[in-house]
Amino acid sequence: MSRHRFENVARRWRPWLLAVLLLLGAAPGRGAPLVPPELSKGEILRLGERMYREGILPSGQSMPAFIRGDVEVDSSAFSCSSCHLRAGLGSFEGGVVTPPTTGVKLYQPYRRPPSLNDVADQAGRFVYAKTVIERPAYHRESLASSLRFGVDPAGQIFNDVMPRYPLGERDMSILIDYLEELSSKPSPGADSSEFRFATIITGDVSTEDRQALLAPLKSFIDQKNQQLAMYNDFLKFGYSPTVEMKFAFRRASLEIWELKGAPESWPGQLAAYYDKNPVFAVLGGISNGDWRPIHDFCEARRLPCLFPITDFPVVSETGWYTYYFNKGYFQEGDAVARYLGRLESLPTEASVLQIVQDSPAGSALAAGFLKGWGEIERSGVTTVRLTASQLADRDALARLITEHRPGVLLIWSGAELLPDLPALVAKLSPQAMLFLSSSYLGRQAGRVPESVRDRVYLSYPYRLTPFVGAKDGGFDAKVPILASAKQFGERRITSRTTAMLRQATLRGLNLLYDNLYRDHLFDVMSMQMDLTVPDYERFSFGPGQRYVSKGCYIIQLGPGAEPALMPRSEWVIH
Amino acid sequence: MLRPFHALAASLLIALISTTLPTATAHAEAKKYKRSVERYSIPDVVLINQDGKKVRIASLLQSDQPVIVDFIYGTCTTICPVLSAGFVNLQRRLGPASRNVRLVSITIDPEHDSPKVLKEYLKRYRAQPGWDFLTGSRADIDAVMKAFNAYIPDKMSHYPINLIRVPKDGSWVRIFGLLSSREFLEEYQRAVAPPVSGGRP
Repeated sequence: MSRHRFENVARRWRPWLLAVLLLLGAAPGRGAPLVPPELSKGEILRLGERMYREGILPSGQSMPAFIRGDVEVDSSAFSCSSCHLRAGLGSFEGGVVTPPTTGVKLYQPYRRPPSLNDVADQAGRFVYAKTVIERPAYHRESLASSLRFGVDPAGQIFNDVMPRYPLGERDMSILIDYLEELSSKPSPGADSSEFRFATIITGDVSTEDRQALLAPLKSFIDQKNQQLAMYNDFLKFGYSPTVEMKFAFRRASLEIWELKGAPESWPGQLAAYYDKNPVFAVLGGISNGDWRPIHDFCEARRLPCLFPITDFPVVSETGWYTYYFNKGYFQEGDAVARYLGRLESLPTEASVLQIVQDSPAGSALAAGFLKGWGEIERSGVTTVRLTASQLADRDALARLITEHRPGVLLIWSGAELLPDLPALVAKLSPQAMLFLSSSYLGRQAGRVPESVRDRVYLSYPYRLTPFVGAKDGGFDAKVPILASAKQFGERRITSRTTAMLRQATLRGLNLLYDNLYRDHLFDVMSMQMDLTVPDYERFSFGPGQRYVSKGCYIIQLGPGAEPALMPRSEWVIH
Repeated sequence: MLRPFHALAASLLIALISTTLPTATAHAEAKKYKRSVERYSIPDVVLINQDGKKVRIASLLQSDQPVIVDFIYGTCTTICPVLSAGFVNLQRRLGPASRNVRLVSITIDPEHDSPKVLKEYLKRYRAQPGWDFLTGSRADIDAVMKAFNAYIPDKMSHYPINLIRVPKDGSWVRIFGLLSSREFLEEYQRAVAPPVSGGRP
């Protein structure tokens, strides 16, 4: 028998062999109590969490699993939480209902009314979107058996997409201990009658920006409370609420957490606010500086922070508890890199000179550019950091450009440089391109001298296509809202906060029903459909995705005092 | 006479079969997918693969090799992992012959799925060479989905589809639903089988 054939045979029989070995190990215990291993509770939960979220066994190996009878899957790519989600309350996606997997839910009997969808197929398509109509409560041993063999306590076979896990006794016990603990206690800051929220405002925010944030927030809270009053009136008149209605109305309150002084002192101030009155989530917020101290606090306290107004979000692939609109300045720098990477007219050996004003905005733009440039495996970037006063020395700047002769010049600075752009562009070779950040230029971005507008490109992270709707995210506007140069420098605090409250957040809160877990809020928000909003082309969600607007245009300016914004790229550039 | 260990193993094997065989039998009796043979006109659009390289989709799909296409996305729960497990298991079952079949996953979340995300996804599934994952502009991906009569306006409402191109006549076997790896292999082999006079794919 050839080695390949042997491997094929071995692979075909592996599920059976594994199952036999498992039974040899587990058979005496199938009807016996599943005894927790002799580990501390904390260690059991840590190991169980890793099994649930990452598909990694306590031994460090991947959890073995099989779907559709014989499809072997690697649980490190296909963990429990990828379908049942982090809070364990399940999901509905791709036409598949994934039921809750927490001990609280599993150890209760389940029953639902029959549905028209309780058929094998509909219009020629197999129907996956259904759960069993009824099952008795699980207990530890029946749950272990179900996870291994895919049959529930009533003898009903699990959906094909649910893997079967041939786990040994010890590993199974650890996983079940974790499921029993998962989402077993409601999160602080919410109960059956109330949601408590806070918003965060740092000391560097102007009175005008503060009002721009608080107006939509207070309106949102007032509206929630007004709706509750109306709902209570309906109940008095004998109205019978649906399940959705029953959980949609709760009293809401908003605290304003003001942060003063140095950012190093913010964690202490946040802790004092939180310990005095824990809230369920932070709605919005605003700062002109780095959001990191607040981000880190929310991660440590597992406190949701929903869409703060910041140009300096934490750019992370693992952050969980803060939803951001986008990656701020970083995203603009990254978009410029990707645009250049796709530009067929740009020689691959073209040198890039990146002149960076020594400021948080300049640093974030430069970091984004370098990250994007590295991801497309390009090199040849010279980065020069200059203070504002060094940037004001136009002769020195011109010498720098002459010395480097870049094919691409990036200047990440404020608008003070704009009047001198013609002199700087004159030092560039005829084919060279100059890139600036519209956000960093702010209100002056439309003032790029006309003589060089054909050489200058701007990163622009907002919507360019007409928004066919109202500013509050509804669709009742008579005239489409058009992007214009007048909007340069607008922080869009009210419109963005309104969109996040009325479109993204409200939907998430309503879908919690009585599952008042913060992780579940992220689970349901991440599973929502894409949204069309006034300021961005699209909000898109997905498990683990935390930056909902992924795009940034590269534009050029048309002629005149109020120039047209002319896109030179797609919204999202790969 | 069986030794005690063998007797125990035998009895456990019987217990195993009695526990699991109904599932296997049920799968064998009732296929839980819909199969049809279709013809599609592939749009002339350029997508981007996991290495950041531009790929003309019509050239990629209309090759002499067997091609299998699905629509998934990088952070998908539930059915994408199952579809991808099907791809990786097909590659395993085919062994070295897997180089003869081109597997093409196309993202339905192009906003998020950069080449980096695609590459990490393939690595996570231990994909072998021959499995490409493509992204691109939303308009181009919509055009591809529409061409396959698989347009999904929003990724949260997608459904499981595999499309197997029959090399001998350019038709496509459209499979709606989830396949076991045995069923997937059988459908693949049926599609790429040499022509039989009067036979249908």
